[in-house]
Amino acid sequence: VTAAPVAQPLRAGAGFWLEGAGSMLRWHLTGLRLLLPVVVAVQLLMGIGFVFAIGLFAPELPPRSAFFAVTGPAVVTLLNVGLILGPQLIAQQRIDGTYDYVRALPVPRSAAAAAWYGVTVVVGLPAAAATLAVGAVHYDVGLVLSWRLLPALLLTTYTGAMIGYATAHAVAEPRVTIFVSQLLIFVLLGFAPVNFPPEQMPGWLAELNRAFPFLPMGTVVRDALDEGFTSSLLESYVVLTAWAGAATALAVVLLGRRR
Amino acid sequence: MLRFEALSARAWFLPYLVIQVLIGAGISVLFGFYVPRLTPELAAYLVTGAPALALIPVGLAALPGLTAGQKSAGSYEYLRSLPVPRLASVAATATFFTGLALPGAAAALFLSALRYDVALSLSPLLVPAVLLTSVTAASVGAAIGHGIGNPLLTNLLTNVLLFFVILYSPILFPESHYPDWLVQVNEWLPFTHMASVLRDALTDGLVTDVARSYAVLAAWAAAGLALAGVAVSRRG
Repeated sequence: VTAAPVAQPLRAGAGFWLEGAGSMLRWHLTGLRLLLPVVVAVQLLMGIGFVFAIGLFAPELPPRSAFFAVTGPAVVTLLNVGLILGPQLIAQQRIDGTYDYVRALPVPRSAAAAAWYGVTVVVGLPAAAATLAVGAVHYDVGLVLSWRLLPALLLTTYTGAMIGYATAHAVAEPRVTIFVSQLLIFVLLGFAPVNFPPEQMPGWLAELNRAFPFLPMGTVVRDALDEGFTSSLLESYVVLTAWAGAATALAVVLLGRRR
Repeated sequence: MLRFEALSARAWFLPYLVIQVLIGAGISVLFGFYVPRLTPELAAYLVTGAPALALIPVGLAALPGLTAGQKSAGSYEYLRSLPVPRLASVAATATFFTGLALPGAAAALFLSALRYDVALSLSPLLVPAVLLTSVTAASVGAAIGHGIGNPLLTNLLTNVLLFFVILYSPILFPESHYPDWLVQVNEWLPFTHMASVLRDALTDGLVTDVARSYAVLAAWAAAGLALAGVAVSRRG
């Protein structure tokens, strides 16, 4: 007796991709549910906690600095999950030994990356909105919402998520991954003009930041909240897109690497 | 036990030292960026607050982090079973982390003084100020590390504490920047007092009533050590 051939579902196509991305999104959110209170607390501290703290460092902020104090922490909350939590979760998977198991799941690489991006958006956007609202009231800063806010927020979150994702898959040693992610947050908070205007740091350092993603992230978000904020909007989008593209390419290549 | 600590630290010691020096110096530089107009008084605060911010995380976060790691890895019970008085082992760890913090604090002070061009006047009080700050941070850290059973909770608590210390304790900026209630809260916590005794030993006239600061710190150091002592001698 020969067994009748069993019909195998096709492992390709848009339906398979979407199903994979959906499953991975559920996978991530389920895995995160115990961590969720901590993640929310961190988001509030890094967002609203920083908004208030900047005013303590310098009472009587001039309007331009106040605008940065409101919008900067919102940008930071968009990046926390992708840039900090993401690499640390992947590092933890390597320590626990579940890393190879997750990689072996029958989900297209791009779908897995897209699902992770979905997580960063779901956790990042509400925190950013809350930070903006609290900051605008606290510093009495008028924000003018424009349609450009949506692409600005999404591209910023995406670039941060992919840089973190690529870093975590590129570095095999978990402790180095965690160190790199902490270094990134240190630079983001202190050595990139995100929470404060570039003219408050040395000129050469501000210039250097134009080639890195954090300054352009701030610029595109701020431009969407204040008409005519910058004259270099195009430059910011180009730099940001280049980083997003490079990080995506690197992440997808690394995910597909055989060992 | 001191030798044991030193030997088990040799793998992470050098990179850790480099990071500590960089972060110590970096913190006072980066907080300068947050201020639109830097006055000489503010610059003096930033420089003299830097060593406190370099010392505090070592005792308050790195030390309990290590203990939490031992609990996760299962070596905690082994260490407790060694034939050494348990409080001696706590003291050895605290001493080791105090020593570990010093180069970073010195570098933070030196580099930030260079950057902000602030002249310091060192007084002999610097020695007790540094020692008491480190010992207090390490004692409180040891109490947290040994007193809390769940390593994840330890890490969460130390991170929240660090956040509070860096952003909401008057260390790098004058108390006049902070709301009264926050200043009052910090009167009873050790962190601002650590900055005060160090600042007093590094400058003339920026700090008054330093005796109270020494008293509060000594009380926290004693309480931390006592708590850590009770926690380690508990039978599990």
